[in-house]
Amino acid sequence: MAILSPTGTQWLTVLLSVALVGASLSFVVTPESGESLRPVDFADTVNMGGTGVDARRADEEGFVLPQVEVFYSGYRYVVGYVGIETAVSELGDASAQRQFGDPLAVYVSDFSTISPTVTDAGFVVPERGRSVGWTPAETAFYVVGSDATIPSGAVTVAFSERDDAAAFADAHGGDVVDWETLQSRIDDPLPATLEGFEQSVGERHAGADESVAVAEAREDRPVSVVVGADADSVSDRATVPIPADATSEPTVSDAVDAAPPNTTVYLPPGTYDVDGVVLNRSITLAGAGVGAESGAESGPESGAETVLRGDGNRSVVYVRADGASVTDLRVTGVGDVGSRGRELRNESGDWDTTVQLAYGYGDAGVVLDGAAGASVSNVEIDTHASGAIVRESPGSVIRNVTVRGADTASDGFMGVVLIGAPSVVQESTFLDGRDGVYTHRADGSVVRDNRAEPGRYGVHEMYTSGTLVANNTVRDAEAGVIVMTRPTDNLVVGNDVRRSTYGVVPAGSDSYYARNVVVDNEYGLQVSGDRNAFVDNVVLGNGVGARANDILPSNWVLGNDFLRNERAVESEIGPLRTWSHGGVGNHWGALPIADGDRDGVYDRPYRPTGTVDSRLGTASGATVLARSPSVATLRRVQGTVSGLRLSGVVDTDARTRPFHPEIIEDALAADSSDEMVESESVDETATTAGFGGATS
Amino acid sequence: MSESGEGTGDSEGISDGERISDGEGIREKERIDRSRRDRVSDTVRNLFVIATRELRTIVRTPAILALAAAFVASVGGVAWAGTGGRGGFVPLTLDLLTFVEVLVPLLAVAFGYRSILGDRGTGELDVLRTFDVSRVSYVGGVYLGRALALVSLVVGTLLAVGLLVPTLTADIPTFLAVNEAADSGVRYVRFVALAAVFTLVVLAAVVGISATTRSVRTAFALAAALALALVLGIDTALVAGIASGLVPGDGIGVLLALSPNSAFRGLVLSTAIGAVGGAEVAAGEPLLNGVGLLAWWLVSLSVAVRRVWPVVESIEE
Repeated sequence: MAILSPTGTQWLTVLLSVALVGASLSFVVTPESGESLRPVDFADTVNMGGTGVDARRADEEGFVLPQVEVFYSGYRYVVGYVGIETAVSELGDASAQRQFGDPLAVYVSDFSTISPTVTDAGFVVPERGRSVGWTPAETAFYVVGSDATIPSGAVTVAFSERDDAAAFADAHGGDVVDWETLQSRIDDPLPATLEGFEQSVGERHAGADESVAVAEAREDRPVSVVVGADADSVSDRATVPIPADATSEPTVSDAVDAAPPNTTVYLPPGTYDVDGVVLNRSITLAGAGVGAESGAESGPESGAETVLRGDGNRSVVYVRADGASVTDLRVTGVGDVGSRGRELRNESGDWDTTVQLAYGYGDAGVVLDGAAGASVSNVEIDTHASGAIVRESPGSVIRNVTVRGADTASDGFMGVVLIGAPSVVQESTFLDGRDGVYTHRADGSVVRDNRAEPGRYGVHEMYTSGTLVANNTVRDAEAGVIVMTRPTDNLVVGNDVRRSTYGVVPAGSDSYYARNVVVDNEYGLQVSGDRNAFVDNVVLGNGVGARANDILPSNWVLGNDFLRNERAVESEIGPLRTWSHGGVGNHWGALPIADGDRDGVYDRPYRPTGTVDSRLGTASGATVLARSPSVATLRRVQGTVSGLRLSGVVDTDARTRPFHPEIIEDALAADSSDEMVESESVDETATTAGFGGATS
Repeated sequence: MSESGEGTGDSEGISDGERISDGEGIREKERIDRSRRDRVSDTVRNLFVIATRELRTIVRTPAILALAAAFVASVGGVAWAGTGGRGGFVPLTLDLLTFVEVLVPLLAVAFGYRSILGDRGTGELDVLRTFDVSRVSYVGGVYLGRALALVSLVVGTLLAVGLLVPTLTADIPTFLAVNEAADSGVRYVRFVALAAVFTLVVLAAVVGISATTRSVRTAFALAAALALALVLGIDTALVAGIASGLVPGDGIGVLLALSPNSAFRGLVLSTAIGAVGGAEVAAGEPLLNGVGLLAWWLVSLSVAVRRVWPVVESIEE
């Protein structure tokens, strides 16, 4: 107790006084505030708006994008928007405020600094050597409705000087308005965005329909050559009409060489041993069909079907002519090399070439190589490598093809590989092997109405933008639909993934993930990427319903049903994400939260990642804990400056009723019937592989 | 609050041989016009002796130590369990504000309600008075001793959990420009300083009650009522007043300054959090809030000094 002497007390008093006086100095120091904030390099901002296409073209073509920088009170970083409209609508949106707080400072691109001219395309180009400066948004003058555009649409431009704005409006049309007026004129961008996505879905379906129609017409070419038999002797049993003038050739190769363009080479039922059939002309190679639906039971010797049997060392059929078709046959004897990447790897080291070599030059049942508009339909392929490889064949169609792959993902390869051009893959079935459909730079491809029970992924997109992946069914995969690299403008809609490790895994930006049904997976829906919309999905009975690992909270997540998941949402990094917009949130099941005004929206925000909220309805006593003053207090204060706080998801407008009760009912019903089908045909689908050293 | 624990605060401080006052000087009556300076220095010296005695009492009272540990655990738990500690200084301030507002009055009651009353009950007060201790020395000493312990606890704990922020905050990606205005340690230090002031004011009020009351039951009832009023009562009454129309809308700023809790909260919101907190800050008048806190402190301590014992006329005068 020696220290507790009057002298000690005096020292303690002095010490504490000094500490308090020192702390009081903090009132003299001025922390940074809105007035002292200066614009930063736009590349260093957290980019919330604008498309990658705009940015790339602006870079390449030398025009400028109107940009906005916002310093929010509750966000550690500076937020950047491309397009003044985007920023204004975001600033007016309550959920953005909840996420980031109040704007302390807003700067817009000042076109007064560049003496702008407008190109014929409507792009704004600066005077030579000038770069765009910044001006505070509140004092700037805006020209709306002028001719100025960026690739994604018309834009508002800003000037620090009223005269410059007026001059621009005189030259290029539009009105000059101030910040306040501008804010009152801008609408919520989400409805237009969603409408745009839906329109694209329709357009891409229509485009695919057209490709399919063209391919179907070509499959009906008149028979000119019959293989291995007299035309007369087979005509009565043939599945296609055999004209009287049709000739006969002993081997498939001879027949293919003999057939004139725009005719069909017909292969009557039977097994044909080939060592690489090459279609160099626009002809159809047609068999008599494959052994009905029960392909596995009817072996190659089965009389009803046509079988092309390769020598087991290479691909079986090569299609190298535009518009050529392969239909109604079974392909076996495919070589077992999935990837020749190592053998073929060139010296250039160019990644694109490397990937193409690795994925595009393995063995396959059918190879389409530079064959625009070619098609493969009603074909079954038994392969330990790939089913079909499609290289640089725009408008090609893979339809009603069944690929049976190797038992394990590491032994097998892809059902269909699409490289370098848009193709359509539809109504096909992929069993075992590695991935069902693998795309590499196959921009604009459409993958729809397929079914996959793959060893690894159902649909796997790499470096591929502008696709439509619709209505595919995936079971027992490592991932149902998985998008990798950083593509844009992909539409993933209406897919149904169950009993897989991952349901739907997105990547990239400005994409649309809608109406997918993910059930009984370890992880249901992943929310990642930038400016993607996740709408109307049903996420049911997964280990983790949604994984939120977007670093920047720029995605829209609304109108989804998250039900019966062990954990509704898991999130690891990034600031708070608000999963609601304009009063529409998601449905999280019946929550023990009040809905006093009976408007179908729970009265308080729901935090599916919250320590207590995430256990509502599952852990006994969680409701009691959720109402404790301490939890209530913490929950209340967590709403403030939420942008600074790490992790988590909040739904400010959680719905009391599901958005899609019929889909949920159907999903549950289909789930049980699915299980029955599964148990009947267990031998067919029993083997699914774990990770197999697969590369991607 | 253990009575036996509090009872161990005996007059050991005096028996240590430290001189409470210059007794001999008085006895000899040598200098009637003793300088004012000596008087002040006596007062100060006695004050520190009393304060030392209070500190000893506190470190020997297990119940108070247990409460202090509970406070540390609560504040640490809030900082750890809430997202504030990982979010930055301003989120942490917001997380802690309500808890400090509730816990500090409770701690102040625990630290202070028996302080003077205990001495009165055991008769130590009478013993002390025989040493010619001035009322200011005695009350000031009691207050200083308790305040040293309590303020150290509050400030130390808050500063310690403040250190969690740089530890727990995720690394900032270097490729992103940082919005300097969004968060600042300066704002947290302001919060800690205001918390210290708030602690001093509430403790003064509790010591005032301890000096005024004559029974433990009354003291406890009053101190509990004070804590309840601070945490809930005054603000609830104010809300009721506004609801019934008794309080005009523009009078809220003044009336808020009358409650130490509201004044403290207002000061934290206006000076420590400011615009970062989100919505435009309407946190009342900082100046009025400051005056309100000062008034509570001065009135409480003067009441304590006046009521601890009646003025005794010096014989020689």
